[in-house]
Amino acid sequence: MDPAVPLMNPAPFGTDVDRGFKKAILRLVKGGPERLAIEAGQIDAIIDPESGKVILLPATQRVLIERKAGFRSLIGLAFDWYWELDDQYRFVSYRGATGDVDDFSEGIIGKALWELSTDNMSEADWRTHRQQLEWRVIFRDFEFRRVDRAGGEQYLSISGEPIFDDRNQFKGYRGITRDITERRQAAAQEPHRFDRAALDALETPIAVLGESGVVLSANKAWNRFAATHSGVGVGVAAGYNYLAVCDEACGTEQVDGRTIAAGIRQVIGGERAIFRYDYACNSLRGRSWFALTVTGIAGNGNACAVVSCEDITERKNGELLLELEFTVARCLADAGTATAALKSVIRVVCETQGWNCGRYFCMDQSAGALRFIESWGVPSAIIEQFLENSRGMAFRPGAGLAGRVYQTGQPLWIVDNARGAGVSLTALAPETGEDGACVFPVTADKVIGVLAFSGSKVREPDHRMLQAVQSIGNQLGRFLQRQQTADVLRRSEMRFRVLTNLTSDWYWEQDRDFRLTQVVGCSAFGTTDILGLTHWDLPHVVLVDAGWAEHKAQLAARWSFCDFEFATAYPDGEHAYYSISGEPVYDEAGTFTGYCGTGVDITKRKRAEIALRESEARMRAAMASGHPVGRGRSRRKTS
Amino acid sequence: MVRKKKDPGASGPVAATAVVMVLYITDSGPNSVRAVANLEAICKEHLQDNFRLEIIDVLQYPLRALADGIVVTPSLAKLFPLPTATVVGNLSDKSDVLRALGIVE
Repeated sequence: MDPAVPLMNPAPFGTDVDRGFKKAILRLVKGGPERLAIEAGQIDAIIDPESGKVILLPATQRVLIERKAGFRSLIGLAFDWYWELDDQYRFVSYRGATGDVDDFSEGIIGKALWELSTDNMSEADWRTHRQQLEWRVIFRDFEFRRVDRAGGEQYLSISGEPIFDDRNQFKGYRGITRDITERRQAAAQEPHRFDRAALDALETPIAVLGESGVVLSANKAWNRFAATHSGVGVGVAAGYNYLAVCDEACGTEQVDGRTIAAGIRQVIGGERAIFRYDYACNSLRGRSWFALTVTGIAGNGNACAVVSCEDITERKNGELLLELEFTVARCLADAGTATAALKSVIRVVCETQGWNCGRYFCMDQSAGALRFIESWGVPSAIIEQFLENSRGMAFRPGAGLAGRVYQTGQPLWIVDNARGAGVSLTALAPETGEDGACVFPVTADKVIGVLAFSGSKVREPDHRMLQAVQSIGNQLGRFLQRQQTADVLRRSEMRFRVLTNLTSDWYWEQDRDFRLTQVVGCSAFGTTDILGLTHWDLPHVVLVDAGWAEHKAQLAARWSFCDFEFATAYPDGEHAYYSISGEPVYDEAGTFTGYCGTGVDITKRKRAEIALRESEARMRAAMASGHPVGRGRSRRKTS
Repeated sequence: MVRKKKDPGASGPVAATAVVMVLYITDSGPNSVRAVANLEAICKEHLQDNFRLEIIDVLQYPLRALADGIVVTPSLAKLFPLPTATVVGNLSDKSDVLRALGIVE
């Protein structure tokens, strides 16, 4: 800085008043240099030697006043009130930067800060503050809260510094007060803004309820949900009473509404922490499912419960279809016949999906066409007539919905609301009953038939639905194929059994130790007596060791045997004769499990042979002795 | 208020011994502000760190000024080395100040 800067105020005594003042002060100054300096305008103030007071020259006075005003204006921007305390910490001055007086500054003079009404300060807080004052330290941003006359919260921040006099004696404090209410409220709102943004970002509709059930707050998803969905709570946005809407639900929603209202009341009343409820409602896109969860809130002002409502239609439909698949499997397991299985499967599918009726068409290979086999329908004259008309129907591959499904192996569906889309349902009426229809194949390695369902609630199937119909068609197809195989086997067994009955008297089975485990059709021994015995242990068996030894050797070698004969002796000495044939039995692993075979009572034949042999012997003896055989000799009855 | 300055880059004649000065001013009066600026420039150029300066605001300590025989502000009093000297005004006359401080240009 150049020290020879020109004077800032070369004419400090420009006016008449100033010139009069100049004369007055020159009288106070004795020295020449001082007078010269005053004349040159280089002096700011004169100190009166008598009074000791400082007399500012007019130019200096103006500059100082301007600067002080500017300073005050600047610091007025930084605080709301300026204050001074005496040495007892009582307010002796309290002035607003704008000159305004509020209810806090009224009556403040003469009181200490802790004697004023504050809202959030404890005795400990004040003790700490007073200690600061006692230590004469500068304190900054000492904040407290008070309730103003209008009942609103006001946050004030006080900063101060101690004042000392010339002798370094403590005189009090001076400082400023700032109203930080807006800042604190903004800071308090900051987490809420974050919460709000987070809530709005959620896809799940969420609403916060007050004690009476009024929606205090709702996120954007809830507002969208309330505006676009039907069912319980439709249109309930913030400010509406959700409980009242649930209470007033009527028709099909009455039960859901009352259940939900009861659950919410329990949560709000603290009887339970959480309430969950799944409910359904019908909408334009079909039946929708929602999972309602009500969670209690404690210690958060008016908020008492949070309600979230999640659309679980897709999941629920998946569960229902899975349940349907299990039900179909159970029906097939319980069904004794193909007819019973078809009827029960068609029924559960109709009842689960809300369809009116279903029909099964089976491919008649001999005729080369699908023929009506079985059906089920809801009790209705129209449905019964429709099913009755179906009985004579036959579809060649590629003809009609059923024929096309058989040919392509892919499901087809006609949605009822296609009515307005230019689709002529009348042409399809014989197949659909002028309703929607869903037709899918029944497969067992290949397509063996077609299931056709009709109903007004048929909707376009999603991926899961297509999976389900494929699974059901596959389960049913395999069941029908097994039934067909079982029928063939049953007929074959029947023929075999008839033939067996014609060629033998009984059927027997043995375990691996050759003990009888089953004897069917044998009255000779009595089944209860001989089970667990071997053939050689049977009662009254006439043992011929050589014969049994040969038979046992055959069994040990696992050979088949045929017409092995043995005899039993009656108590009266007569004999009965039997012939058995058998073959070894192996399980799937090739392990020997025993024998099975048939038995024939050959007593008559054997006795006839014995009688014949005896007769021949007598004849030869008579001829040898020359005596003829007498005609009147009695013969023993052998039967 | 006491200021002690050191400026290694100082130029011009330098006082041999430490100079003790008191500058009496009036708050931020225009001549007082000017006097402080002028004195700082002179000290920087001629005294380096070889001085002790006390600045007294007479608005705060009027009796101190009277006791020191000061009746107008701004006034610079050189107390040491002797002899004492006083310069009245905003110190815009540099030679006058140097002469009072005992520094010959």
